[in-house]
Amino acid sequence: MTPKETPPAGTAMEQSPGCPVPPASADPAKAVLKTSRRGFLKSSGLLSLSSLMGTAALMTQSDEAKAAVEWAEHFQKNYRLMTPEEKAEARARLERRYSAEYGKAVTVDTTDAQPGVLMGYALNIRKCIGCRRCVKACVAENNQTRGERPGERIEWIQVLRMERGEFSKDKMDHGYPEGLGIQVGGNAYTPAGQVLEGQYHYEPEAVPEKDATYMPIACMQCEKPPCVKVCPVRTTYREPDGPVVIDYNWCIGCRMCMGACPYWARRINVANPVLPKEDMNPVTHYLGNRPRMRGVVEKCHWCLQRSRHGRYPACVEVCPVGARKFGNLLDPESEVSLILARKNVFRLKAELNTFPKFFYFYD
Amino acid sequence: MKKLAFHTMIIAFCCGIAATAFAQDAEKKEEVCFESRKGASEITKREIKPGWPNVKCSPKTGAALWYGDPYEGTVPMGKMPMLDKIPEGHALVKPRSEKLSILPMCGTACHNGVGPKFSPPTLPKDKKPTPIPTMESLLPDVKDLQHGRGRIWCLDCHHTTKRNMLVDNFGDPVSFDQPQLLCGKCHGDKLRDWRDGIHGKRIGEFASTGKKRWFVCTECHNPHNVQDGARNRGFVQLQPESPPQLPKGMKDANYEKVHPIAH
Ligand code: HEC
Ligand code: HEC
Ligand code: HEC
Repeated sequence: MTPKETPPAGTAMEQSPGCPVPPASADPAKAVLKTSRRGFLKSSGLLSLSSLMGTAALMTQSDEAKAAVEWAEHFQKNYRLMTPEEKAEARARLERRYSAEYGKAVTVDTTDAQPGVLMGYALNIRKCIGCRRCVKACVAENNQTRGERPGERIEWIQVLRMERGEFSKDKMDHGYPEGLGIQVGGNAYTPAGQVLEGQYHYEPEAVPEKDATYMPIACMQCEKPPCVKVCPVRTTYREPDGPVVIDYNWCIGCRMCMGACPYWARRINVANPVLPKEDMNPVTHYLGNRPRMRGVVEKCHWCLQRSRHGRYPACVEVCPVGARKFGNLLDPESEVSLILARKNVFRLKAELNTFPKFFYFYD
Repeated sequence: MKKLAFHTMIIAFCCGIAATAFAQDAEKKEEVCFESRKGASEITKREIKPGWPNVKCSPKTGAALWYGDPYEGTVPMGKMPMLDKIPEGHALVKPRSEKLSILPMCGTACHNGVGPKFSPPTLPKDKKPTPIPTMESLLPDVKDLQHGRGRIWCLDCHHTTKRNMLVDNFGDPVSFDQPQLLCGKCHGDKLRDWRDGIHGKRIGEFASTGKKRWFVCTECHNPHNVQDGARNRGFVQLQPESPPQLPKGMKDANYEKVHPIAH
């Protein structure tokens, strides 16, 4: 189907004179006349947008409004390059689409980083009991896919179960290499501290278990994020107030960032996301929890839709033991600043020089 | 005579408890979830505005998983030393006294300080442990008080004459809604961390002067049992939420244990 093909009857076709031929440029945003696109959205509504692009044929089978909106999305700039007007436009478009799709008033926030705020996170690993409430709260807040089939369930927080090492007489000589005696904290036969895939899947009657400790891991919001370095389309970047975010519209699903992340924090939507209407959280942020599409990568962003408005992230609020702490690193009175000043703190894989703003501590 | 009065009182309590249980049965459709300590703080799910609940409950464990309104049911915390930088009305707590079923009787029926037996002359002469069968039948936890390993007893925490109050270091009464003033007299380090938001938990606005609901000590700890027997931990065990999806191709979580990685 070439763009020149005659559109089917019923599609509005007031092609504005001087409208450019659909772009062959690598930066589609540049090829579209801003004024005419915006004029379209404001005056004649969505339908005519399709004619502008001359690809109405694409839309014959799908819901036209939705398709037109998606089409407009394809031509929008990388979020960081958008002018405030373009952001407002993208926001209005998305709000309309999501509201129709989920049957309720969905808001898409575009609030920027607030001056004087640098977000930081601290987790008390001595208190964590491995109950996974944070994992589920995150899903309830952030509109992840929650289907049943493989790849349809995404969770951003992983809770590692680590076996406590033990010194027992019968294992005295079962070290590795064989015969050299027991090794501190476990040995080849009791893999203390070692992470096996299966160890995320513990399912006892009650936690904490006697012989285990737990370590939740999610995005560390690094100061020097390897994922940002490798992104070929620069759609993931660090915001001035700390979190590393993703403009989902520009993600090409190449998974480079997933490979680069030393903390296993990123997930890809390999399947079409499953998000029931009644469970959908209608308060969203453009760079945060707005619904994602298939083929894009997502991860924790410290609940930008909340934290930009001063509210604690969802995981902090549900932790039954109060192990999760969040605050402004630039405020010396914030709980995170006080933890950094007073407690025993470490960063995960500090030797990689990623400089996480997520700290682990114990008291 | 007096004994009889006691027994009727106990029966009355039992009836009261049974009645509330029946009431809960009747409204079974209601979704109720618990926060940190099961049985200590429950929330009933309801819609605040269309499509926006006050709380989301876990279908698996009945735990509160998400707060639509972090301040629901809260009242101002009351005076706390060192928290004067926080603006008025920004430090909130859920009152404990509303949740305690026996408490309403404490100051009125028995320990009212006027009855011949209970008037000051026959109050306990010291704070040392003694068997108190009446209390044991009301509150099974105190049969084997697991707090302080035999070094503390009821009146280290409960006010001698005002039984509907707790007690501070000066012997002054402290409200059940401010247990931090009680616990802090022996656990100063924890009180300090709690005050700074490091121990315990707060929800709402994260700014240090923001509006927050503070969880008080007894929302997480059962003051009559902070040991949990042999576990020796101050926080009781919980049922965990469901595990994540297994990676594609992995049949069960023990796969790697059965098929170890070669070294
Ligand atoms: C470590 C301090 C402490 C000690 C020791 C202690 N209590 Fe308590 N007690 C409390 C606190 C705090 C509460 C309020 C609990 C809450 O808010 O959940 C309470 C609550 C109670 C209640 C009301 C419970 C309800 O559900 O209404 C009774 C009755 C009670 N205590 C009796 C006793 C008796 C009898 C003893 C001695 C065997 C005792 N307590 C020892 C701190 C203590
Ligand atoms: C009168 C002093 C006193 C008061 C008041 C008091 N405690 Fe304790 N608490 C103790 C002592 C003593 C221990 C036991 C220390 C030991 O022997 O290990 C203890 C132990 C604990 C422990 C377990 C610590 C451990 O490692 O075993 C917790 C949790 C605890 N208290 C919480 C509270 C809470 C919550 C309150 C307020 C409701 C409170 N305490 C009030 C004296 C007190
Ligand atoms: C949000 C829940 C929560 C609140 C609120 C809370 N605690 Fe704790 N507290 C815990 C947990 C979890 C532990 C670790 C218990 C364990 O696993 O052994 C703990 C441990 C303790 C201990 C034992 C010492 C230790 O480090 O293990 C003391 C004492 C204690 N708390 C006192 C207090 C006091 C006093 C308050 C109120 C000022 C309070 N707690 C409020 C959750 C809470």
